[in-house]
Amino acid sequence: MQDVLIIGSGISGMSCAIRCAEHGMHATLVSPLPSERAQSVMAAGGINAVTLEHEGGDSVVGHIEDTLRGGAWLGGKNAVAGLCEHAEDIVRYLEKIGTVFSVDENGRPLMRAFGGQTHKRTHYCGSSTGKQIVSALVMEARRYEAAGLIDRRLGQHFHSALIEDGVCYGALMFDEGSEQLAPTYADAVVMAVGGQNALFGKTTGSALCDGYAVGRLFAQGAVLKNLEFVQYHPTTLETSQKRMLVSEAARGEGGRLFYRKDGERVYFMEDKYGRNGNLMTRDVVSREIDACGHEVFLDVSFLGEQTIDQRLPEVRDLCQKYRGIDIAREPIPVAPSVHFFMGGLAVHLNHETSIRRLYAVGECASMYHGANRLGGNSLLAALYSGWVAADDMAQAASVTRRPNFGTTAWQEQRQLDAMRDTRSPYPVMYTRDMLADTMRTQLGIVRNADKLNAGIASIEHDLEIAKQLRYDPSVSTYTNYSITAILSLARAALSCALARKESRGAHFRSDYPQSSNEFCAPTLISYNDGNYEVRLDEGWTYES
Amino acid sequence: MKVRILRQEASDATPHWESFDYDGARGISVAGLLDHINFHDDIVTDDGKKTSRIMWECSCLQGVCGACAMVINNVPALACETFLRDLTGDVVTLRPLQKFPVIRDLVVNRNVIHEGLKRTNVFVGEYRPKDGEDHTHQYTVAKCLKCGLCLEVCPNYTSGRSFLGALFANDCYLVYARNHEKSKDIRKTYAKNFGNSCSKSLSCMDVCPMSIPTIASMARLNR
Repeated sequence: MQDVLIIGSGISGMSCAIRCAEHGMHATLVSPLPSERAQSVMAAGGINAVTLEHEGGDSVVGHIEDTLRGGAWLGGKNAVAGLCEHAEDIVRYLEKIGTVFSVDENGRPLMRAFGGQTHKRTHYCGSSTGKQIVSALVMEARRYEAAGLIDRRLGQHFHSALIEDGVCYGALMFDEGSEQLAPTYADAVVMAVGGQNALFGKTTGSALCDGYAVGRLFAQGAVLKNLEFVQYHPTTLETSQKRMLVSEAARGEGGRLFYRKDGERVYFMEDKYGRNGNLMTRDVVSREIDACGHEVFLDVSFLGEQTIDQRLPEVRDLCQKYRGIDIAREPIPVAPSVHFFMGGLAVHLNHETSIRRLYAVGECASMYHGANRLGGNSLLAALYSGWVAADDMAQAASVTRRPNFGTTAWQEQRQLDAMRDTRSPYPVMYTRDMLADTMRTQLGIVRNADKLNAGIASIEHDLEIAKQLRYDPSVSTYTNYSITAILSLARAALSCALARKESRGAHFRSDYPQSSNEFCAPTLISYNDGNYEVRLDEGWTYES
Repeated sequence: MKVRILRQEASDATPHWESFDYDGARGISVAGLLDHINFHDDIVTDDGKKTSRIMWECSCLQGVCGACAMVINNVPALACETFLRDLTGDVVTLRPLQKFPVIRDLVVNRNVIHEGLKRTNVFVGEYRPKDGEDHTHQYTVAKCLKCGLCLEVCPNYTSGRSFLGALFANDCYLVYARNHEKSKDIRKTYAKNFGNSCSKSLSCMDVCPMSIPTIASMARLNR
């Protein structure tokens, strides 16, 4: 291939664009805002890799096993093996392009433990690992921008893919400045649009990740996978503007969870799971906090001011700034909140979706994390998936005959103009808020059939309203046109959760509290003429 | 409490002031305040007039992405980490950054930042560190948000055509520190686009949300 269109410029999008450029391909990297605004900068804790400096007894096999076990055996085995085997290459690459990793006095990389890991293998940059990686990738991308191999375009939103007979030939992009749609053609399109935060309103992540692109592609025929697996991060801090993530690094450095009963501290995770109880996987810790019925605290004060300032400076800043809590002196009140989406576009090993020439990378693709993601594996997967997609595209043939999408583009523009010519007193944001309420209530940490059916009914109602919505001029054109696809994606997630009649990883059903071998396979969902068709991928189709 | 906001419906529209009443807690940030005003079905000014939602840019809401940079009570700052309790008086004044073209309300087009960095070809290339460089300073410098607050306050920065400001100087330092083979070239680039014109008011350091000591980058590049 020669020309690739990459939508989204966070870590996975940049990783893919740079790798394409290294192969000599031309990558057009589009996003509404620059990479510095991407959710990637919020990734705090680190990146997992078994490297030369690994802890005694650790191995790549250990990393693979931890990832598969942590994902409750729904991660793709072949894909996870590839991910872990390339982890050292990725860390070396990041060093090579100038990422400022935390090192000891001899310049050797420091590592910390994360939940669900048998060894310390999380490399980190203080507690701003994502930001440091973004800074390095932005510079590296700049190198190829100067060479004419990467073309960055800002102020652009995805509208829809240009698909004919199951093949993608480009995308219709909405330009914020001109308020017009324009087709961008390419040999392949790569979605790097992040998770589906807006389904739940404000999460620990970026307000920009709304799930629209995945919802729209679903309506256009793309198969989605594992949408029921939503990760609630166990340690988030309530503030007046959102729940903020208290990095898992805090527990990785030794932080202890407790609640107070009769004036005494109860270290409930250690009592139940032993010495490493605080570092159980996120799904387990979130459920235990949810079930304990007390206000839970995370204590790192015993680490001492010096260690906290060296290893967790951003965590200290955040707690001080937003809640006036000095973590060197007092514990942090924490509770679980939506943090990551294991589900998304179903992709094959090469990161191609069910639609040919349409790829997906990073959080919007479902592949490595199964039913629950381990801390430190998301940055790794974002970088690795970008490489895999780029390497595959480099080997594939360019488009020889492109259908004419002129009529499609014209019709979509007409529809958009017609919508803009109407006026509605009914705010789109009200529908978004109702959706978030529904999802938080009905697709929470503990689910059951009644809740899920109630959620589906509520969103069906919202979808009916959305059909009648006129243009709300108080928000952007993008916010107006994105609402229906976001609702459809939410409806799909609830359908997946209803169909999985067992408990596994981040999906806990009070009416089916046990795991069942019958369900030890990924969930797939397709949209067919208004129907949401859910099935188990028993043949592991997407592991090839 | 009064909230005065400089509104502008489009890039070519005439800006005008609107005022809103706020009687909630002072513990919230300016980002929380904007959310509070926008949350209502009808947005109403202090004299009862219906108006549109206030457009502002946000992503992380925790001071690590730089999206919500604006001018708050005449000081360039991030809305998500400026708290009402820390502001003096009973009026909060919000306006967009002035050194960049307005898209709508408090949203500005900061593309010129990235164009400048691309034009001057600032990248590390291969990690070949200079001996004895300060790792802690590199870590701090790499946290630059490219939010533009340092440019807003800088007396030397105008259009971004020739003088590229503190964020440029800090990126130059990263290249200098992490690839010694480029140290000579990057110092020339730095001098041409920053060092020769900086009047050293250092106001950039007063407003930097990441507390980047740009003076330390300058000291090393000026050696």
